[in-house]
Amino acid sequence: MIFSTLEHILTHISFSIVSIVITIHLITFLVDEIIKLYDSSEKGMIMTFFCITGLLVTRWIYSGHFPLSNLYESLIFLSWSFSLIHIVPYFKKNQNFLSAIIGPSAIFTQGFATSGLLTEIHESAILVPALQSEWLIMHVSMMILGYAALLCGSLLSVALLVRKNRKFFFTSNHLLNLNGSFFFGEIEYMNERINVLQNTSFFSPKNYYRSQFIQQLDYWSYRVISLGFIFLTIGILSGAVWANEAWGSYWSWDPKETWAFITWIVFAIYLHIRTNIKWKGINSAIVASIGFLIIWICYFGVNLLGIGLHSYGSFTLTSN
Amino acid sequence: MKIMNISHRHSVIPSKFQNHNIKNVFKFKTRNSFPHSFLICASHSHKNGSTFTISCKLKTSKNDIDKKSMDKSLQTKIVVPELDGAPSLSRAEEERGSGAPVKPPPLSSKKNVLGLLKGLPRRILAVLSNLPLAIAEMFVVAALMALGTIIDQGEAPGYYFQKYPEDNPVLGFFTWRWVLTLGFDRMFSSPVFLGTLALLGASLMACTYTTQIPVLKVAKRWSFLYSTEAIRRQEYSDTLPRASLQDLGIILMGAGYEVFLKGPSLYAFRGLAGRFAPIGVHLALLLVMAGGALSATGSYKGSVTVPQGLNFVIGDVLGPSGFLSTPSESFNTEVHVNRFYMDYYDSGEVSQFHSDLSLFDFNGKEVMRKTISVNDPLRYGGITIYQTDWSLSALQITKDDEGPFNLAMAPLKINGDKKLYGTFLPVGDADSPDVKGISMLARDLQSIVLYDQEGKFAGVRRPNSKLPIDIDGFKIVVVDAIGSTGLDLKTDPGVPIVYAGFGALMLTTCISFLSHSQIWALQDGTTVVIGGKTNRAKGEFPEETNQLLDQVPEIVESTSSTQSNNLSG
Repeated sequence: MIFSTLEHILTHISFSIVSIVITIHLITFLVDEIIKLYDSSEKGMIMTFFCITGLLVTRWIYSGHFPLSNLYESLIFLSWSFSLIHIVPYFKKNQNFLSAIIGPSAIFTQGFATSGLLTEIHESAILVPALQSEWLIMHVSMMILGYAALLCGSLLSVALLVRKNRKFFFTSNHLLNLNGSFFFGEIEYMNERINVLQNTSFFSPKNYYRSQFIQQLDYWSYRVISLGFIFLTIGILSGAVWANEAWGSYWSWDPKETWAFITWIVFAIYLHIRTNIKWKGINSAIVASIGFLIIWICYFGVNLLGIGLHSYGSFTLTSN
Repeated sequence: MKIMNISHRHSVIPSKFQNHNIKNVFKFKTRNSFPHSFLICASHSHKNGSTFTISCKLKTSKNDIDKKSMDKSLQTKIVVPELDGAPSLSRAEEERGSGAPVKPPPLSSKKNVLGLLKGLPRRILAVLSNLPLAIAEMFVVAALMALGTIIDQGEAPGYYFQKYPEDNPVLGFFTWRWVLTLGFDRMFSSPVFLGTLALLGASLMACTYTTQIPVLKVAKRWSFLYSTEAIRRQEYSDTLPRASLQDLGIILMGAGYEVFLKGPSLYAFRGLAGRFAPIGVHLALLLVMAGGALSATGSYKGSVTVPQGLNFVIGDVLGPSGFLSTPSESFNTEVHVNRFYMDYYDSGEVSQFHSDLSLFDFNGKEVMRKTISVNDPLRYGGITIYQTDWSLSALQITKDDEGPFNLAMAPLKINGDKKLYGTFLPVGDADSPDVKGISMLARDLQSIVLYDQEGKFAGVRRPNSKLPIDIDGFKIVVVDAIGSTGLDLKTDPGVPIVYAGFGALMLTTCISFLSHSQIWALQDGTTVVIGGKTNRAKGEFPEETNQLLDQVPEIVESTSSTQSNNLSG
């Protein structure tokens, strides 16, 4: 009882903090630079991280197994991964892009997880026999970390595309513009603001910032995707080893497996396109954006259809 | 070369700038006010839209300042061409090494058939190692796999006639003819899919051979640069006045670089493994593919449902999967199911399935005994036995203290596919046309639901409880519920190869994240000219290197260096 209350409290705290962080982002975006506010949004993300960590640990303690057995838990873990990427020191210097991407991503995943859509699966389910393995922690956490990093990276690429084709988006696609402008406008604003801060007295042709900004987006999207690709590889392979223990075959072309493989191939294509200097930038960004859609198909589409071996909502001990 | 009297670092612009006769000089108070690298200038839009910028920290001695030109040059916008046109041979090689296809050397001039035949493999190699082709292949593989999850797999042809009718094709053209002709009803074993995979494998091999292996050879050529020109041509370059190469070397070593010093020049690198790891990734993928092919052609598979207490011979269950499948001696082993049982959660749901198995060899000697469960298979002589399924085979009951009788249970499919088993105990004349009796239903081994002759609910009994139930005047005791265990068996000679591939793939993918950074430096009088580049972490490299260079101590007393006179550049 105490656990579920604690969990409830933590969920709400983390959700509220992320909302506040986004509001702060919005304020700094609309109104002028307020450094204190920006600072507090950083602290907010760190607090969110600890809240979600607390939430996961609570769930772990009272359910007795690693909290990654259903979609709700995996969504919480996904938003935990987002906030983890946020506080990783490696990306610290370039937080302005990433926090603009990560904040909204985290709130969307968490909002979706806690919203009414999925109330039935909130309850920590019992662990079906096939999931009772040490591989669960390795496989699922790696997959979701991979998804989180790849989502961040491909969102940066989407931002690049939007930025490059701004006129196109403005004139031809108002709907997309509405969705995109907040995100990308914000990132762009952050970047320009920092540049302006550094070079106030210097000649500043707008074109230069724009290209510099696009280059930065391109580069960081590449680095984050490379990192995500490592996690995805480890996740898929550990999943295959686990499947060989539990189902009797390391690869059985189950829909979820297949889509994970498709995701892997798409990002492999991305990495190969990056090796060719002529295709860098816009071409690789298009591939990464395709990858963004495919991750969602892989992560949600297959789960919601509830087909195949990975449908743990209705999983009863059956093979193929 | 005069020694300049400056307190801070002097900027270096890649040599191409020098043609532009740049004299723009900027004065800044301190470097610290610009924590990030300060960008002088300008970007140049290439035809494909990509841009390149140069960063440099500028501070030049007063001697060099041409005050007249200063105002002018401040407005000068420097146009920097992209660096990939740099003439250095090793650079061009390296660019290719990072994935772009290498054109094969021109074919021999012999115009006889033999020459053509000799040239053919090369030409095929060149085509296969073409990067756009490989990317297209990957796209096709991904698309086919996606299609394979959209089209229901493994159904009878009639299903596809109905689902993709000719008079109402999907997307205007996709009918069952497509599905059946191309074998998309069994996508993952269809020739189209396997062919594309094989082609991708061939591309992998060709690319590894023609593009990646040469990188290894090029590695030998990376060495000292003896001209400041060449060093300044690097993506990153800087100049340290009043510094010594030795100090720089020590600091680079501290940062994890391998440092080589030879006379006035220094070469250092870090993360070399990151450059070679992609080769490993490709080889590991080939290993996985080879293992997968062996699995597909050389394994045996089978599944069996055995009631508790019965036996089966492994060889009777297994069926070969391909032409490479060869039976082994352990196929004669007999498996006896000593016991099948389940664990339950408090809520009544199944938590785990267990089968206690004994293996007997040809002579009837027990060679192994193990209780298997899901995630904990039994391995013996290359054969793996998995717990995958279960069912109820029989109910043992006594009727009016007679018996016990074994009633066979049949699976019932009433509400979806949840497990439900039923059996029937006839009452009265079993041969009459409308025989009536007591029905018993069970979802698991825990509880049996009994219904009387009218079909009304009579009660629930647990096996082993020995609690009798009175139905229509009969005293029924459910003695036991006998389960059968569903086992999957397989031999797979491909698994060790695939696992080796997996391990290598994980390792090499991780290593591939490393960035191969190289730094060259040349002592030029008391000035050290430094140039460097990296292949992946292009964003962090200048910043990290700046931090390292900041640590290089400044030599206060200017010692006249003998080396400077020998320099060519």
